[in-house]
This record gives sequence, structure tokens and C-alpha cells, in this order.
Amino acid sequence: MKTEGLTPVRKSGKVILVGNPNVGKSVVFGYLTGRYVTVSNYPGTTVEVTRGEVRDRGTVCEIIDTPGVYSLLPMSEDERVTRDILMAEPGSRVIQVADAKNMRRSLMITLQLAEMGIPLVIAVNMADEARDRGVMPRIDQLEKKIGVPAIPTVAVRKKGVDRLMGMLDLATTPNVGISYGEKIESAVSRMESLIPETSPVGRRALAIMLLCGDDSLTQWLAENVTAERVSEMNVTRNRLEEETGGEIAYRINQIRLQWIDSLLEDLGEEAGVAEGGGWAQVFGRVSMDPFYGVPIFLFVLFLAYEFVGVFGAKILVDFLEAGLFGKAIIPGASWIVNQAIPWPLARDFLIGPYGMISMALSYAIAIVLPIVGTFFWGFGILEDSGYLPRLAVMVDRIFKKIGCNGKAVLPMILGLGCDTMATLTTRILETRKERIIVTLLLALGIPCSAQLGVILGMLGNVGPAATITWVAILVAVILAVGFLASRVIPGESSDFILEIPPIRWPRLGNLAVKTMARIEWYLREAVPLFILGTLILFVADRIGWLLWLQKAAEPLVVGVLDLPPKTAEAFLIGFLRRDYGAAGLFDMARAGLLTNLQVVVSLVTITLFIPCIANFLVIVKEHGGKVAAGMALFIFPLAVLVGALVNICARKLGITF
Amino acid sequence: MTEYGQDEILELIWTLREEGCATRTKLLERSEEENPEGLLGELVLSGLVEVSREDLRMTRAGDERARGIIRRHRLAEVLLQNLFDLDSSQMENSACKFEHILTTPVTESVCTFLGHPPVCPHGRAIPRGECCDRIRTEIHPLVTRLSDAGLGDPVRIVFITPKSKKRLEKLSSLGIVPGSRLRLLQRNPSFVLQIGETTIAVDREITDEIYVKRA
Repeated sequence: MKTEGLTPVRKSGKVILVGNPNVGKSVVFGYLTGRYVTVSNYPGTTVEVTRGEVRDRGTVCEIIDTPGVYSLLPMSEDERVTRDILMAEPGSRVIQVADAKNMRRSLMITLQLAEMGIPLVIAVNMADEARDRGVMPRIDQLEKKIGVPAIPTVAVRKKGVDRLMGMLDLATTPNVGISYGEKIESAVSRMESLIPETSPVGRRALAIMLLCGDDSLTQWLAENVTAERVSEMNVTRNRLEEETGGEIAYRINQIRLQWIDSLLEDLGEEAGVAEGGGWAQVFGRVSMDPFYGVPIFLFVLFLAYEFVGVFGAKILVDFLEAGLFGKAIIPGASWIVNQAIPWPLARDFLIGPYGMISMALSYAIAIVLPIVGTFFWGFGILEDSGYLPRLAVMVDRIFKKIGCNGKAVLPMILGLGCDTMATLTTRILETRKERIIVTLLLALGIPCSAQLGVILGMLGNVGPAATITWVAILVAVILAVGFLASRVIPGESSDFILEIPPIRWPRLGNLAVKTMARIEWYLREAVPLFILGTLILFVADRIGWLLWLQKAAEPLVVGVLDLPPKTAEAFLIGFLRRDYGAAGLFDMARAGLLTNLQVVVSLVTITLFIPCIANFLVIVKEHGGKVAAGMALFIFPLAVLVGALVNICARKLGITF
Repeated sequence: MTEYGQDEILELIWTLREEGCATRTKLLERSEEENPEGLLGELVLSGLVEVSREDLRMTRAGDERARGIIRRHRLAEVLLQNLFDLDSSQMENSACKFEHILTTPVTESVCTFLGHPPVCPHGRAIPRGECCDRIRTEIHPLVTRLSDAGLGDPVRIVFITPKSKKRLEKLSSLGIVPGSRLRLLQRNPSFVLQIGETTIAVDREITDEIYVKRA
């Protein structure tokens, strides 16, 4: 987006994208702003608000992408984010992104936006899929019935989205005129009279939310309404609950659905014939079949291992590390440095054992990058295909044992990409208990892609028995800790209700953009920390602390874990980033400093090791410093303990791998 | 109130007969009525029960009346336990009242609605009614839990009996309310439903609370 001569006029109102989960809000956002936000094929990809700017005919206005919602009466953190942004930005207009195949659910949101009095336009997205299935509603009729501009779109193919900004000028509040019956309506008007006129959204909407018992509004009430009125509100709600036998939200939703059903009946559908289920639907079915689902899962794992573990961690790493860096860059850099720089200290700083080029860059670029790159690519395919929610169906029962449900597999798998991002995604879980358990397990036992790749590369050289042992120990630790945590952490677990998106063929364009965005993010996030870690090692080595540290850690590293003293360095930089620590081990194993058993012990320990700094900071942000510190203090001794147990057991049993 | 008392005595005789000890002593011992002797006498006078020394025997007319009472009582038990999750003492209490007030057409509706259950929650046989014979040709009961619905069959939700309000709200925001049409796609490893063009995975706990009939 380039400036077009004159400075554009800034429009006052903002534009907010709202809709059900997994309908393509982020795709529309990307198209309108030219900014990329992660797009995937599962509900809950967006858990935070993203802001961008859109230029349109000489004006510029802010546009906000929000997490998907089933209802504006929030049930989970991410839904609350969306409702709150609507409250916090009065005077905004909304582009509602609807799923053409599921207008029934989409219109639930339209009705609630109408009650909030928000002007909107509707993008009836995925029109191609709806037409293929013969369920495309008649949009012209929809416009006529509710008086709001609507347009069929296929956002991933950029169809129809170009007209959205122009349509926004015509945005109006939908004309719905729905009545919830005498009892509820009289309570609503009583409630409305108690809400201050300065309310940021339509008072009718707030009145209904309050009658439905929306606890998330407590804060707003405390700030904006007198205590007297609040107690009167409670009386009104209690009275209505008595009159209707409770379950007000349910009754209201039921009336809304009846209204929608009759509207949809009136609209009618476009003429068209449904195409029979293709390979995608067949695959979608069998991938969550109790019988075929397991081999399919194993096959997916196998492909992932071949691609990341073999192609990325062996072939590409060999090429980059041994070839490019080992034969060209490092010798070349050494030659130049030796010629150009006379001071030994500066030489060492660049190409010594803890040098910027010889260590930081070669770890970051030659070892970790190819692994992370292939992982992100493969993971993107999984995300976009719609396979991940099906995996949640397969593992629901296992996750029940650790106090969560199948939904928790989404952040856990995402953790294999990056634990930091995954910790944010725990917001899709509905209770605090589930969020804490998953956050803990992520920090404890889920290796991120960078670490995973390095580890798989090392294990690949030791043999399949070592790989299986490593996986089995991690799974056992995760299940045991999860099981105990679910007993210890107070609170409730939520119901497993998860929408399963259709299986889709991943689009190369989105895949490429997403992978590049993630690699760029990796380089920006990881490389500075790699440099910092190397710097710390370099300084510590110079002033003799490294030796001292190795001595200090000796009882633990050598005594308990039976590892060479140098491993302490890897653990030290593991505090900065776990993958960096793993890369240090990788280097040692290559140099033949570790026996096979020591490889397994050190890898188990570094995998379970405390979360990296970025992850730790996100835990602080999401759950507070106390919880984060508690987790770190629990995880560190546990990692060492498990490593020691593996060592002792293997020695007793005479296993050397 | 003699009719009420008579009903209770007939019911007790039926139960004792099931247990294989329909004797006068047992009846007097187990009855909770004020004047069981007198009520028994009334029944004998009306030609509903015959007494030969210790043994009690219902006549054909008596048998018919007792059958109706037992049927209504046990159907009420099933209704109260399955649908409303009442504990056994409450269930017993209310079932005792139901047996006296349900008319034949209502009983038939209840029986059909429950899918002509063969036994009561205590495992005792529920006497079959006319409606049960009529539907022998149909295999499926009219209303079942969604968990028991045939895979792929189109069904319509009749009612939902959720444990928590939150669950009900969540389901309704997904469009799962009475009247909605859906299909059960699979039971294992989790339950998967298709509603409109949406596929949703849920726990068994939830499908157990959704009652459907074939659409």
C-alpha cells in the first residue's frame, strides 16, 4: 500500500471484523490491509485483536480483526476479547464475515449486533463451498429482508472482497424487530431503564446480556452504574429467572433461532445441485474413525518425521552446517578475520569457540533454521488441511484423564511449533484450570520445533530405540504431571464441544506466506537471543566464570546425570532458549563427546528443562508472575530428577542404546 | 378415598405375586393403608379378589385393574428417573400419585414417548399396553437419546436435559435447540454430529442429554 500523493483523510470511525470462528475474517483482514495475519483451517487461529489500516478512495481508517465468536455472550476468553472490543469502540462499523454454508449460526451474530445498534455490512463468505453443496442462500433477498448490504465473497480467491469498503458507506443497523415474549420483554425494558444513557452499545443488547447473567460485565457495571442500580438489576434478573424457570439465555437463543429459521425459509436458496462428497469428505470422515483414524495419525506422524527429522534435520543441516558453514563460511571468515584483525580478543569474539560467527550464526542459521523452516512448512499443511481438530476428536478421551478435553490438543500441537505462541492459544480453552494445565505441560514437556528438530537429528544418529524411549518418557511425564495437576489445581473442566471444519486442499499461496512470516518471526526473535547467549558464554569464558560454573554444576551435571562437565554450558544457554541449549548438545554429540546413553539423558533433561525466556514472559502475561515462577520452580528440579532416573535405570538395566 | 386404598391393595397383591408370596399375612404386614382388612373385604365384595384362607388371588377383572395401576406406576418411574433425574425417594412418591391420575390415552402417550420400555428402574416388568403391541412392527422407539440414535439417520431434537446452564447456552449458540434437525455421524472415539453444514464433536455426556425422534 503506497501513499497516493495527498495525505489521506483519517476517518474517525473504525471498522471491526466480526464473525463465527473459522469463517475467514483474517483472510478478509489480510486482503483489506495488505498485512498478513496467520490464517489456518481450524477454529481459534486468531486469539488476539489485530489492528491494521485500510486506505480507501483518499481516506484511511483503522480496521480491527477479532477472534471468532459463536455468541456475543462470551463463553471463553477469546470470545470475550471480541465482545469487549465492540464495547470499547463505540461509533465503529462492522464487517460481519458469515459462513454461507452456515447462515443459521452467522445470523445469530447479526441479530446480536443489531441489538447492539451497530451499523454493518455482511460478507457472505465461502460462497463457492455453499454453492458446491447446493445450500447458498439468496443474498438479494437477505438484503431486502434485514435492510443491510450483503455480498457473496470467496475471500481466499479475493472474490467480492474488493467491494466491501465501498459498501461500508451504506452500512446500517439490521432491521430485525424480534420480540422475546411478554415476560422477557418487560424485564428487558426495566433493565434498559437502569442502564446509563452513555452506554457504549445499544442498551437493549446490554440489558439482554445482563439478564442472561453475563459475569464478564461485572467490571463494566462497577465502573459505570451505581451500586443501587446494580442491585436493582439483580432483582430484575432474579425475578425473570423465577418467572421463566431460569435458563434465560437459552430461551432467548431459542427464540432467535426460530426467527432465523423462518427468515431463512423466506429467503430460499439459490437453485443448484449438491455435488457428492469428494475425496476431502471421505478423508475427513475416516481420519476420525476409531479404526482407520489411528493408522492415519501414525502415517501423518511418519510423514512429518521424514520431512522434518530426515529431510530438514539431516539433509539440509548437513548441507548447511558441514557444507556451507564448515567448508566455506567459517574458513572464509577465519581467513578474513585473521588477516584483518590483529587483536586476538576480537578474533576470538568472531571465530573463537564462543564466537559470533562460529557459534551464534552457525547454530541459528545452519542447525536450527533448516529444521524450523521444514517444520513450519509441514505444520502449515496440517493447519490448512483441517486435520488438527480431527486429531482432537481422536485424543479427547486421553485428555479427559488430565483434566482437559480434546480441544487442548490444539495448543499442544501448536506448541511443537513454538511454545510461546501456543501459550497464547490456550485462550481457546474455556476454564482457567484447563488453561493452567496446558500452559504447564507446554512449558514442561512439549519441545518447540527448533528444539525438536535438533533433538530428532541427534536421536536419528543414535537409533530408533533411543527415539522411542525419549518419546515414551516425555509422554509418560506429560500424562503423569497432567493427571496430578488435574487433581491439585482447583476449578472445573469444560465440555468438549468442538467444530470440525471441512478438509480442504492447502493453498500454496497462503502456505508460502505463512511459512515465510513464521521464519521471519523466528529470525527476529531467536537470532538476537542466540547472539546474547553466545556473548554471555564468551564473557563467562574470558573471566573464568565458565570453569567456575562447570565446577559448581558438577555435582548435578556429572554426579547426578553422569554427563561431561561441558554439558553445563548447554544447560546454561538453555535458560535463554531451549533450542539453543539443544544445539549445544548437538554440537557435542557430533564431536563424539557424548555416549549414546548420555545423549538420551541430556535430551530428556533439556526437553523438560525450564521454559525459554519468551515463553516465561508470556506465562507471566497470561497468568501472572506467581504462577509463572511456581511453574519454573516445579519444572527445573523435575527435569533434573527425571534425567537422573533415566540414567540410573538405564545403568541398572545395562541399557546403553 | 376407598378407590385410592383399593388401588394400593391391588398394586401390593400384584407385587407380592411377582415375588411369589401373595398371602394374607404378608399383605397385612406390608400394606401402608390404615385399614387393609376393610379394603381387602371391599375388593372381595366387588369381585376383584378371591381369598381362600391364606392365599390371595385376583379375579380376571381384578387382574386387569391391577395391571393398569402397575403399568402407570412403573411408566411414571421410568419417566421421572430417565428424564428428570429425580432421586429414588422422590421418584417413588410422585410415581405413586401418577398411577391414580393418568388416563389411558395419557398413559399410552407416555409409554410411546419413552419408547415402550420393558422394565421399570427397579428391573421389574412393565405390563405391556395396547400401544406396545401396535408398534411391534416398528423397530425403533419414538424418542431416544441422541447417543442411541442410528448412525446417519436424520433426527429432530425433542428436548434437552442439560446438567448445567452454561452447557445449554453453548449448545444453543451453536444452533442445537429443540426442533433442530441433525444426524449422528459416529460414536467413537468421540461423538460427532452434523447439523446443517456444520460438523461438531461432543462428549457422550452431552449426547446423553439430547433427546431426539426420527425426522
